[in-house]
Formats: sequence, structure tokens, C-alpha cells
Amino acid sequence: MQSGLKTLAVALGHVANAALWLSGTGLVLMTLIIGAQVFFRYVLNDSIIWSEPAAVILMGWFIFLGAAVGIREGYHLSFDVLLYLVPRRGKLVLYTLSDIVVTTFGAGMVWYGWQLMASAAGVRLPTLGVSGAVDFMPLFGGGILMMLFSIERILRRAAGLPTARFGEADLEEA
Amino acid sequence: MELWVLFGTFGLLLAIGTPVAFCLGVASFATVAYLGLPPMVVFQRLNSGVSVFALMAIPFFIFAGEVMVRGDIARRLIAVAGAAVGHFKGGLGQVNIASSLLFGGISGSAAADASAIGGLMIPQMKERGYDVDYAVNITVTSAIIALMIPPSHNMIIYSIAAGGRISIADLFTAGIVPGVLLALSLAVAAWFVARRRDYPTEAFPGWSMLGQLLINAIPGILLIAIIFGGVRSGIFTASESSCIAALYALAVTTLAYRTMGWAEFVGAVKAAVRTTAMVLLVIGCAASFGWLLAFLKVPASMVVLMQSVSQNPIVILLLINVMLLILGTFMDMAPLIVITTPIFLPVAMAFGIDPVHFGVILVLNLGIGLCTPPVGAVLFVGCAVGRISVWQAVRTIWPFYGAAFATLLLVTYIPALSLWLPSLFH
Repeated sequence: MQSGLKTLAVALGHVANAALWLSGTGLVLMTLIIGAQVFFRYVLNDSIIWSEPAAVILMGWFIFLGAAVGIREGYHLSFDVLLYLVPRRGKLVLYTLSDIVVTTFGAGMVWYGWQLMASAAGVRLPTLGVSGAVDFMPLFGGGILMMLFSIERILRRAAGLPTARFGEADLEEA
Repeated sequence: MELWVLFGTFGLLLAIGTPVAFCLGVASFATVAYLGLPPMVVFQRLNSGVSVFALMAIPFFIFAGEVMVRGDIARRLIAVAGAAVGHFKGGLGQVNIASSLLFGGISGSAAADASAIGGLMIPQMKERGYDVDYAVNITVTSAIIALMIPPSHNMIIYSIAAGGRISIADLFTAGIVPGVLLALSLAVAAWFVARRRDYPTEAFPGWSMLGQLLINAIPGILLIAIIFGGVRSGIFTASESSCIAALYALAVTTLAYRTMGWAEFVGAVKAAVRTTAMVLLVIGCAASFGWLLAFLKVPASMVVLMQSVSQNPIVILLLINVMLLILGTFMDMAPLIVITTPIFLPVAMAFGIDPVHFGVILVLNLGIGLCTPPVGAVLFVGCAVGRISVWQAVRTIWPFYGAAFATLLLVTYIPALSLWLPSLFH
């Protein structure tokens, strides 16, 4: 099981890296779009109407993708104080419980994100001219990655491999 | 009962170490299910909670801060502070505080401030014979200044949590005097501790050297003018001005300073994505939590409850401050702002407290919470940079906590400290 999980870690490492690059690209694009908005308004005296809604959708992507990568890398804020009092085995059980909670929430994002997409699919966003489903895609996509990454954590822990908490462990080497 | 489900689930998940964002989201989910409402509403609120244009200022300011740290803008500002105040008693400690005042004026994030200034100052202070605990204590507490001096993205979070009706320009302006006051009281504390421990001072490098360093740092100082002037005059929204700040910082570091290569750029983008995705997910999940609080009429009950405790605004403000300080010791700032604003702001307003004034109190109070154990993001950063344990740091941090508390009391009970400066613009 361990060697299989190591292969999985390499594969998911690529997925996480790609998600992080996509998020970063989203941030840079967002910066350029809003910069262009200001430039057009004050220098060219011509407003871009699609810039704000487009940037908001990009922000959705980079938040949910970035947050999903955060689960794998363990950089989400949590309250660790009580855990210091728990013995190591108990701690591992609680970590797994936490990961199950995150998986469930990710599943909710996927399931309800899909329903929200379906219900908005027929609506056309006036400023962007695309389907309203686009608004909810980040929720759906981010949810899938959150599920994937937290299930990986559960499996790794079950197999006795380390999982990152505040980015302490390097997954591919371990 | 619904409140038990909401707060019980939240507290239980928090205790077992689930990331804060998911504690908020799952607690809302459980409560919605208990009430028999469609669970979809939780995710709809989460999605609309992060799809707010005003929120965009947060990634932009954090991005700009990363660029400034990696591209040498921060170091040049610290050099100015070093030449200007290094010869006072407390030497590099005073430099550290003055740097926070300058750098906070461009980054607006306490954690960024602590890691940027701490990373440069703490090793230098160690080398010059200062005790590490002193260096860490000053770095950590002076980082709160960054929250008060514009641009403060926490003020933006407050404005959004309050329903977006409070002017960001007013909040930015209102934080300036309290921020400077905090810097002064920390400087006094640093002076006392330095005198007792007999720390060295630095030689004054002379006015021409100070002038030279100031000229080197002008692009960084200009950034403050762009952000503040843009928002205050209404030319830019806060989101637009933060975007300009990021683009400007990129332009200065790549074209003028030539310190920003591809590797530094990628590093800055990735760091900004990691930090903001985490903060904004918390804000999104807190949006559904906050919606449920309103749905369950918690704010209205809180007003009634507080009015039954006392009719005196002085007592009420003290109560709110104590509650926020306690919450702040074990929770992070952004989720607390989003959760407590809808609960406490109506109370404060029912007692005639100006919402801008309340925002300054809230941010300062929760800023202190970032420096207190058991959970204090800024304290952790400071200790990590100084390589000492949290216990070693807090054993001698009391004079600085004292200075921060004194400032909090002054800001709470003298509304003019917050409201005088914005009133000049009306």
C-alpha cells in the first residue's frame, strides 16, 4: 500500500502544483485586468464593463484552488492547543476525523456546486455574455480537489506515512 | 437549540484541530440541516461571500506586500528608520517600531510586517547584544501598528462585514492617530526595558546620510501617498488602489531597483496565493456562519442582553473589549472580524458609538489577540524568526502588552482619537 501511495503522492503533487500555478496565474490576470480597468477609465476615458465580474470569477478560482492546495500542504489555520494534551495515537485519530470533516465539506461543495451550476446554466450573465454556471464552477472544481487531497491524507495516515501540518513534511520524499 | 448546534459543532470541530474555515462551514451546514432549510444555501452563501469586488483588495495588498519584501522596498524603509531613531535609548528596538510604522503603511498586514521586519531586525539585534526575547517582543507587538495604519485590509474586512455601508476611506483615516499613538507607547515601553537591561544605542549617522537613505526609499514612501491619496480622494476604490499598489511595487522592483527576477516574482505570487486563499476561504465560510447568526436573530438578542446588563456605554465598551480580547487569544483575526462585527456592531450603535470608531477599537483589540498565546499568528511568526519558544517570548512581553492595552483603553474612551482626522475631510 505504501508504494502505491507514493506513486499517488507524486501524481497528486503534480495536480497540486498545477492548481497552485493556475491560482497564481489567476492572481496575476486579476491584477492586470483591474489595472487595465483603471487605465482605460482615467487615461482613455473609456470604461471596460466586463473587468469587475471577470476579476471576481478569477478570484473565486484562485481562492478555491489555493485553499485546496492548502489542505494538502497543511497551511490552513487551526486551533492546535487542545491537541497538545492528547497522546500521539489519539491525535492521529482526531486528525483523521478532521480530514473526514473536510472531505464531507468538499463533497458538499461538489454536489451543491453542481446543482447551483445546473440552476444557473440557462441564465446569461449580462456583462460577460457567458452562462451563469461559470459563477459556480470554482466552487465545484475546488471541491473536487479538496476531496482528493483530504482522502489522500486519510489514506496516508492509515498507511503510517506522514501528512503535512503547517508544511512540515515533504510528501514525496517520505 | 439551533444556537447550540451552531456553536457546539463549531467548538467541537475547533477543539479537534479542524481548520477554522471548515469549522465555520460545517457548523453552518449542520445548523441549516437541523432547521430543515435547504443545505444548498450554505454553499450559495460561501460562493457569494467570496464573490465580492471589495474583497479583492486583500489579495492585492498581500501580493504588493510580498513584492515589497522580496524586492528590497522593505529593507530600504527600515534603513531610513534605523538612521532616524537608532540613537534613542532602546536603539534597534526603536528602529524596529519605527520600521513597523513605515512598512505597515504599505503592507497593512501584521503577519507580513512581523516576518519582513523581524527577519531583518531580529538577527541584527541578536548580533548587537540584545536579548532575543526583547527583539521578538518588540517585533510582535509593533506589528499591530500595521493593522492601524492604512492600507489595512482588516479594516476592509470590517467594512464588508458591517454590510459595506461604512466608508473605507474614513476607516483608513481613522486608524492613523491610534496607530501613531500605539507606536509611541511601545517606544516608551522599549525605552524602559532597554534602560533596565542597559542595551546599547546606535550612533546617529548624520543628516546627510539620513537624507540619502530617505531618497533611496522614496519609491516606497510614494506608494503610501498613492494608496492613501487615491482612496481618500475617491479617485480609486480600495480594490483599485491596492491593484495599483501591486503593479507599482512590481514596476519599482523590476525597473528601478532591479531586484525582482523571475524566481522572486514566482515566489511572491505563490506566497500571496497561499496566504490569501486561506484568509478568503475563512471569510467565505464565515459569511454563511454570519448569515445564520442574523437568521437566528443573535445580534438583536445580544443588544437586548447587553442593555439588560448596563445602560452605560463605558461599561458596555469595556465588556465588549474583554470579550473580544478573550476570543482573540484563541482565534485568528479575519474570522473574528466577520463573526463578531454583526453581533457587536448593532450593540455598539445602540449605545451611540460611531461605527468608524468601533471599527478602530475592534481592529486594535483583535490585533492584540494576534500577539497572545495560545493562538497568535503574529506571535508565532516572531518566535519562529527569533527561534525561541512562545513561552520564552511571553515571559517578558508584559511591558509591551501593557503599552498596547493602555492604547486600547485610550482609543476606546476618547472617540476623538479616531474620529478627529476623518472629520477634517468632511
